[in-house]
Amino acid sequence: MDRNKMSYRVSQFLIFAGPATLLFVGTVIVPLIYGFYLTFTSWDGVSKNKPIVGLDNYVAAFADKIYWQSMGRTIFYSVFSVIFINILAFALAYLVTMEVTVRQKDKNGKKTVMNRGIWGQNFFRAGFFVPNLIGGIVLGYVWQFVFKRALVSLGNAITQGNVPSLLATSGGAMFCLILVSVWQYAGYMMLIYVAGFMSVPEDLKEAALIDGCTPAQAMKNVTIPLMRSSFVQCLFLSITRCFVIYDVNLSLTDGDPFGSSVLAAMHVYNQAFTYKNYGLGQAEALILFVVCAIIGITQVYIGKKGEVAA
Amino acid sequence: MKNMKKVFALGLTVAMTASMLAGCGGSTSTESAGTGSSAATESAAAASGDGASITIYNSKMEIQTQLEDAAKAYKDATGVSVEVFMQNDTVASDLATAYASGSPYTINMVDAKDIYSMAEEHALDLSGEKWIGDTTEAISIGDKVYGFPVCVEARGLIYNADAIKNITGEDFDPTQYKTLDSFKELIDKLKAGGMETPTGVMMEDWSLGAHYLAMVYEEREDTDAFLASLNDGSASIADDAKFTSLMDTFDVLKENNYASADPISADREVTEQKLAQGEIAFMFGGNWDWSVLSAYEPTENMGMMPVPQNTDDGTNEKLVGGGSKYFFIDSSDNTSADQQQAAKDFLNWLVYDEAGQAVLVNDCALVPAFSNITLDVSDPLGASVKSYADSGSLVANYNYLPDDHYSVLGGQAFQKYLAGQSDRAGFATEIDDYWKAATLSAH
Repeated sequence: MDRNKMSYRVSQFLIFAGPATLLFVGTVIVPLIYGFYLTFTSWDGVSKNKPIVGLDNYVAAFADKIYWQSMGRTIFYSVFSVIFINILAFALAYLVTMEVTVRQKDKNGKKTVMNRGIWGQNFFRAGFFVPNLIGGIVLGYVWQFVFKRALVSLGNAITQGNVPSLLATSGGAMFCLILVSVWQYAGYMMLIYVAGFMSVPEDLKEAALIDGCTPAQAMKNVTIPLMRSSFVQCLFLSITRCFVIYDVNLSLTDGDPFGSSVLAAMHVYNQAFTYKNYGLGQAEALILFVVCAIIGITQVYIGKKGEVAA
Repeated sequence: MKNMKKVFALGLTVAMTASMLAGCGGSTSTESAGTGSSAATESAAAASGDGASITIYNSKMEIQTQLEDAAKAYKDATGVSVEVFMQNDTVASDLATAYASGSPYTINMVDAKDIYSMAEEHALDLSGEKWIGDTTEAISIGDKVYGFPVCVEARGLIYNADAIKNITGEDFDPTQYKTLDSFKELIDKLKAGGMETPTGVMMEDWSLGAHYLAMVYEEREDTDAFLASLNDGSASIADDAKFTSLMDTFDVLKENNYASADPISADREVTEQKLAQGEIAFMFGGNWDWSVLSAYEPTENMGMMPVPQNTDDGTNEKLVGGGSKYFFIDSSDNTSADQQQAAKDFLNWLVYDEAGQAVLVNDCALVPAFSNITLDVSDPLGASVKSYADSGSLVANYNYLPDDHYSVLGGQAFQKYLAGQSDRAGFATEIDDYWKAATLSAH
């Protein structure tokens, strides 16, 4: 059998990648192309007719003030969420991989020195990851209860007055969204950072310490550069997730108050299904996709460029 | 041999891709209806033995279990199996999914506005049906009848008569409080008697926008003409007497709101709990609110009254409402003639069979839209609505507001007014601006 023959390579490809490729084409590529086609129609979502309107939807999308306001809000939300998610995730990952030096006597009375993780590390790892396992909708309702009822009751009891709910002010609603997202995603990103910490060879760190680095310098000059790929991954994941967030937005704030917490994905959904401008909604979704893709790819490109290997 | 394999693999790939394309492609082609595993075709196949089999899309979540029970009873009585599907997204997106996959529901429960936007393409003409003679709420477009009214619903002020009586010591008679002046006196009396905040205002955008603000348009002779004048800028809502009188009343509700310190946190659940338990005495709402109120062990002496206003146009003696939620029967090729007939029979069963009537009135606690149904409505809010409906004291719903009206004006503008972040002039400007930019629906 000639392994270089085209037919052999094609059949090998079909056997191993065929099913996955088919699924990917069927569930992602085809809908994407079909959706792209729909942006040129004034379809309402249910009608049998899909009248072609050319670029009208894109013109309308660029003129849709509320859409761009929601886009601005999404960028604001994403910037703060991404920063806090990654700071917290990195800190947590550091804490759950941290090793402390323990001096103890073994049963023969001999003194030994050993490094080991702090007590309960695995429990904490699991605990921080759990929020990520709860679906966004449930999580939103749980936190809504916390912000609307629990914190308000607590505040009223302490101050003996009327404490307004955080969700009732426009700034407060955005703050709650960011807080809940950080809580939700930090555990997931933590796992990636943990893997990053573990992949840095011990001997390099030891060498740095022996050469006179302080632990902080070793972290800055050895560990973090070697973990660059973890940062690239975490940033990419958190940016793309934040940009298209919908579930938490829906269940936690539903855009209230005064429509001040409507993020881009929610506006797109409303445009397509509530206001029945399916074509326009699809066009706005496509713009959101392009913005998200550009930011994500740029970030990965810049991040990858400076990656170093141990 | 090798070639055979290659051909086979390629053929398989092409076939699978093609079937996917067909599945995702236009819902109009009859081929795709065949390849998709459509509920309609499956149920048609299952139906071959034992009568037809139909599906119902239910967009009134609170009656889901009741409808499922009714479906069982209907199957036992007639042999026709009925499957009830509950709404799990907006009506438009659920139906879009059903139509795009080539498996529409046989009977679809939608809002009146959806009938106007969808019926001509998707709904069966029901002109020949008997029940049309027994209702005034059916929806027709041109000379064709498309919408079967599921129930009558109306908006107004919900009161807790027991809570009022506890303070005033007298039986509450809502007909004495038609004007805002008399209503204010009552509010003052309640406050003096120890109920510091006698009213509640729900912050939900649909309540403020689609239900309260909409009354400004509805309580007049010619709503279309009024909206047209707002649209072309020849009228301003700030100068409108109806806007003034309704907003004067709203101000009283707002000032005496139990949540006046933080009105945006006063959501439906909490507000209705307070009303049910008599902590507050009045709330703007509709008879659909009974499904929530009844969860909080309310006193029986509740009811609905017109929104008090200082006006002499008679609207302060009427509730606002009418037919609500409509059934239409799918007319596409995916629904067979047998299924369409079975669906028509089911609607007739609801109106003319005693068991069907009992489903509507007793089980689902709906106010029937049919004059031949004489069963008593059990819930007190429904009973109020029925008495107003029977005496012709309902101001009709206006069903042609733009789809974004409730979220833009209700959610953004009205909520700001409620929270004290804009004054009435500012609110009026936002309404004017909205209507100037809006596209009025042709009808």
